[in-house]
Amino acid sequence: MEIRIFLNFSVFLWKFKTLKKTLVIFAHPYFEYSTANLELIKMYDGVENLEFKDLYEEYPDFHIATFRERKRIRTFERLIFHFPLIWFGLPPLLKLWIDEVFDMKWISDEDHPLTNKDAAIIVTVGGKEEYYQKDGVYGTTIPELMKQLTLSLKVNNIEVKEFFALYNADDLKENELKEISQTIKTKLKIR
Amino acid sequence: MNETSLALTALIFLGAAIIMVPLVRKLGLSAVIGYILGGIIIGPFCLKLTGNDTDDIMHAAEFGVIMLLFLVGLEIEPRKFWTMRKRIIGMGLSQMVLTVVSLFLIFYVAKWRPDQALVAALCFALSSTAIVLQTLKEKNIFRTQAGEASFSILLFQDIAVIPILALLPIIAKKSADEENQILLQYLPDWLQPFSIILGVAALIFLGRYVFVPFLRYVSRSGMNELLTASSLFLVIGVSELMYAVGLSPALGAFLAGLMLANSEFRHELESQIEPFKGLLLAVFFVSVGSTINFFVIMQDPMFIFSTVIVVLLVKLLVLYGIGKFFKLKIDQNFLVAFALSQIGEFAFVLVNYSTQLYLLSPQLNEQLMAITAITMCVTPILLIINEKFIEPKKIFVKNMESESHEPIKKQRIIIVGFGFFGSTVGRLLRSTGTKATILDNDARRVNLLRSNGFKVYYGDATKPGMLRSAGAETADLLILCLDNFESNYSILEYAKKNFPQLKIFVRAKNRLEAYDFLNNGVDNIYRETLGTAVDMAVDVLKATGMRAYAARRLGRRFMLIDKAMVRKLAKEQLKDQVTFTLKDSLDQEAKLLAEDSHSFDESQWNDNEEYLN
Repeated sequence: MEIRIFLNFSVFLWKFKTLKKTLVIFAHPYFEYSTANLELIKMYDGVENLEFKDLYEEYPDFHIATFRERKRIRTFERLIFHFPLIWFGLPPLLKLWIDEVFDMKWISDEDHPLTNKDAAIIVTVGGKEEYYQKDGVYGTTIPELMKQLTLSLKVNNIEVKEFFALYNADDLKENELKEISQTIKTKLKIR
Repeated sequence: MNETSLALTALIFLGAAIIMVPLVRKLGLSAVIGYILGGIIIGPFCLKLTGNDTDDIMHAAEFGVIMLLFLVGLEIEPRKFWTMRKRIIGMGLSQMVLTVVSLFLIFYVAKWRPDQALVAALCFALSSTAIVLQTLKEKNIFRTQAGEASFSILLFQDIAVIPILALLPIIAKKSADEENQILLQYLPDWLQPFSIILGVAALIFLGRYVFVPFLRYVSRSGMNELLTASSLFLVIGVSELMYAVGLSPALGAFLAGLMLANSEFRHELESQIEPFKGLLLAVFFVSVGSTINFFVIMQDPMFIFSTVIVVLLVKLLVLYGIGKFFKLKIDQNFLVAFALSQIGEFAFVLVNYSTQLYLLSPQLNEQLMAITAITMCVTPILLIINEKFIEPKKIFVKNMESESHEPIKKQRIIIVGFGFFGSTVGRLLRSTGTKATILDNDARRVNLLRSNGFKVYYGDATKPGMLRSAGAETADLLILCLDNFESNYSILEYAKKNFPQLKIFVRAKNRLEAYDFLNNGVDNIYRETLGTAVDMAVDVLKATGMRAYAARRLGRRFMLIDKAMVRKLAKEQLKDQVTFTLKDSLDQEAKLLAEDSHSFDESQWNDNEEYLN
């Protein structure tokens, strides 16, 4: 019993001191042409307790190692989904990754690989913010377009704690990007 | 000199080099110092094993330099040389003129005889091609700003030797010494300018229309020693030809190299000539050490050492000024100034020749020789000073620059074997503009591919020197696509040992070859009987009515499982007792494949981790 308490206490301390064990799931089919993400990605460099998964680099032939992914994902406490908006939706490999890794059966399970996690979403958008309004050119909003992802997370009891939509991403200057990185870092407590 | 004494001299020279060079290398110094020290030890001052015979030295040096310049020519493409012409004339001429004038004035003020002052100034203005180029190669900085600047100046000096040789008798005449008239027969054919133009034209013609077909003809015979012989024949032949028309043989060799730089034999020639050059230069450096006559130095050390210091200082300052004028970066500028501050090997010839013209007294001759040798010995030390004390101060600036200006480093690639397999690899690389050095040892195929616009070089990569001359020391990726397993394997072993920085990709025919490569620590293995066979099976499955996506998925899974199995079996090959046989692996493979990924049981995740699925 005593040991139990001690353990709990140290876990509490450990959580307090360091970042939650985080998995960044980054998906970008045309990463080499992205200026914004090239800069933003730098914020994950050398961060303790954080693993960076570049899906398009890891699975160039779209053949996902499902079981390895399922096994590994259990150890993380936070998932950061980082990607550009492609034709108003997720990059196809990210969608495939979710399709292959998440299992519908888990919804009814008590203990499954996605328990005890929260999430953050960072999405870069080429268009201007005013286009993505109810009364804007596209007649819809980014959170709405992201429903597919947020709902998949919600049914698995994963709360989306932070949501960053970066509009006009292709035209952001280096200093603006650095500022954005800084804001995201403080909000996510990434050091 | 009879035959036994030649063999004995060679024995002594080589022995000195063999003993001293590893010692010096252990101390982290340039091999040049080792050779020179070896020379001093066997020289008249210490062991008295050699005479003071500068003729032999010159022969060794001359041929060493000729081969060195041939190799340098091979590394520069004609177009690049053409863009360098302004720098060669600008830097070279200004260096010569400024150095000669300042040295002459200093000597004149120091009350030397004017003609002797002029001769000494002319001799001392030259730098040592052998030492500098050897150092540049050792440090692998040939392609930097400093490398190109040094080379430009040296090339100009090599050309300038001929007019200087012609000038000496004229100076001699002015000195009112009647006896030199007899020696006019020493005059080279320099007065016939047409012969020079003719020589260069002949060389260009030969390079274009004779050398390459000749080498192709020889290489088709498939005999290696014939290629060695013809490489030597080519270099020596060209230098003789140049000598005959009164041009500098070194310049001729350089031009010949230049003409062959674009040919498929570039790397093959390099690997053939390289050992000879190394040997001859070693002999040269040892002889420099052995010619230092310490008795002459002891007679008048003040004169010798003050002259050495004056010469070094003047050359340094002039070179530094020129570097500044031509806007070299400061660290590069220091390197050039230090590297070129010695007196060159041509001074030996010029001084001796001047003595024959009675311009210099035997005693002055000895002294000038000693000064020359001392400056040569000092160069490696000066370079160490530059490296240890001056460069570190600039490093901070350099780092800042390289960080902000250099984008992702371009990978250097060598492809070995360009048959049907290798050329497929090469074609795909080429479509993205990725450049690669390609080696193949089928002369006919090389010829055919060249006519189709592929930059393929003729050469047998299983020979030790070949990879080195193809640039393996600085390359990043080595791609082995030969048909023959033994060849791929021996190149692999050699490359792993000598160029550990190389990332190696290797073609394997089947599992058995893959085992050997795996156990040799190669990760990138391409089994030609895997991918294509799986593609075929996938298409067969489709033809039997399976959904195309399901068939492709199965194919991918098969590949991953099979690769993992081969890895496991390769480890078994190393053990004495095989516990996991091919049959086991095939059984397990079938079992794994039978279960579609979606029906996998969570409890099995652990077991199948190693199969990457």
